[in-house]
Amino acid sequence: MTQLIHSKPLHRFYRRFEPAFYIAPAFIVLAIVLLYPLGYSLWLSVHQWMLRSFRQGVPFIGFKNYIDLFSNPDFLNSIKITFTFVIIAVSIEFILGMLLALLLNQEVRGKGLFRAMILLPMMCTNVVIGLMWRLLLNYQYGLVNYYLGRLDILPVEWLSSPKVAMASVIIVDVWNTTSFVALMLLAGLQSLPDEPFEAARIDGASGLQSFYYLTLPLLRPVILVALLWRFIDTFRIFDVIYLLTSGGPARVTETVSIYVYRYGFQSFNLGLAAAASFIMLLIMLIIAGLIARAIQKQE
Amino acid sequence: MKLEKYFTVKKLSLLVVYILVILTVMLSIAPIIYLVLTSFKEPELTFAIPPVWTFKPTLQNYNEVLGSTNFGKYFLNSIVVALTATGIALMLGTFAAYGFSRFRFRGHFWLKMSSLVPQMLPPIAIVVPLYVLFSRLDWIDTRQSLVISYLTFTIPLSIWMMTGFFDDVPIELEEAAVIDGCSRFGALMRVSLPLAVPGMAATAILAFLYCWNEFLYAVILTGRDARTLPVIITSFMTNKAVLWGRIAASGSLVLIPVLIFALLAQRYLVRGLARGAVKG
Repeated sequence: MTQLIHSKPLHRFYRRFEPAFYIAPAFIVLAIVLLYPLGYSLWLSVHQWMLRSFRQGVPFIGFKNYIDLFSNPDFLNSIKITFTFVIIAVSIEFILGMLLALLLNQEVRGKGLFRAMILLPMMCTNVVIGLMWRLLLNYQYGLVNYYLGRLDILPVEWLSSPKVAMASVIIVDVWNTTSFVALMLLAGLQSLPDEPFEAARIDGASGLQSFYYLTLPLLRPVILVALLWRFIDTFRIFDVIYLLTSGGPARVTETVSIYVYRYGFQSFNLGLAAAASFIMLLIMLIIAGLIARAIQKQE
Repeated sequence: MKLEKYFTVKKLSLLVVYILVILTVMLSIAPIIYLVLTSFKEPELTFAIPPVWTFKPTLQNYNEVLGSTNFGKYFLNSIVVALTATGIALMLGTFAAYGFSRFRFRGHFWLKMSSLVPQMLPPIAIVVPLYVLFSRLDWIDTRQSLVISYLTFTIPLSIWMMTGFFDDVPIELEEAAVIDGCSRFGALMRVSLPLAVPGMAATAILAFLYCWNEFLYAVILTGRDARTLPVIITSFMTNKAVLWGRIAASGSLVLIPVLIFALLAQRYLVRGLARGAVKG
């Protein structure tokens, strides 16, 4: 073997393709698993597949599904709702997460235990989260309204009022994932060098100044990675919203995933559902690509 | 005088820190505690207003959950599917991560990023074609169909996390092993892999939990036989009534591994996710 590798062309071949030996298997398995589903989905998206007519044939209709979607107010509404949800939820999670990370970065005793407890919401089964909060936010019997009542606050129709439902879904997502952001930022904070902060203190910078001019820029890479993960997960959220509100009331919480579910599994218009999910994937790829570019620039 | 004042301020702010931290902890775990308490309540007490906090605990809900469904079988399904999907992904992901961590080549960054694309696919978008595929293979309602679908997110997760952990293993150790006559692969197996074991454990735990918690694929691709626990929980929401007691009991049972793993691996989990790209 060593002999072989020392022969020059083979050696060069081996050197050149060595990374592939390690990397390729994972990518090949992913390709095998995903190629058929993606291909079939793409095929569906340019055909008319309806439950009542598919036995007579599935005609090719070009981009009609896509065109229909962009003139469908419900679909446009679901995109708007997804963005509203992602932007508000992720912003709150980053603000609270940063505060929490700064807190946990203090010399606190029992940090490990606190960290584990705060981690729990993010590791909970989504189905349990959805149902648990449905119980807590129940208008008549929920704990939240009961204790608000004790504080003389009128009960809120958390999940059934079109005005409040979006806020409720955001609250649950914030409960679920702020800890993820916080702990990632905490990991970042702990890897920061001490010297710049000491220098800043000696130069008389206030805490707020060193946070703004040192902590934030130095944390940028971690912030971007956390943002990428949160964006991916929030954008395609399905089960928590499905179990909390099923997209209702009056579609105010109908994100694209719920919309696709409604068309795919309730009206069985598979072509339209496939086209909608491709548009969703495209939007995700563009935004994730932008975040990834920002990460690349850091390196 | 001035010094004294400084210290009281510091002590006071430390107190504030503790109060805030404990408040966050309470907010994080209160809903879960409420769920567990509800699981031990008589069903009539679930909706009692004002809420009851002291009551005689009963195992009624647990008995009903364990008696009325094939809970043991579904528990086994969940475990087998999650372990298999995690094992395969960990193996493939570890090697790929090693490749990303130790080699630089053209398109390195974007290839690594593209491993996240499967993670971005909305599950709702691939579940229909997967259903069609598996029904052609006659694999609907089997464990292997779930394992295959779960690879779509466990492999990207493993690649991402393990890359970070390999970056933490100094390359000099491998170089030393190569000088001593190891092949590169031998150096990986004997030097770097053992050092990356804590990282592998953390990755395995997170991948396991992702599978354990997964709902959409499980509800659509399985029927009677291959169901997993999250699907069972929702089966207590019937058209007639929502059986909150049983939901709470089965939910609490499902959360047990989550609690154990959160305590065991908290230190490594997040570091792994954070490192993936930071050290590029």
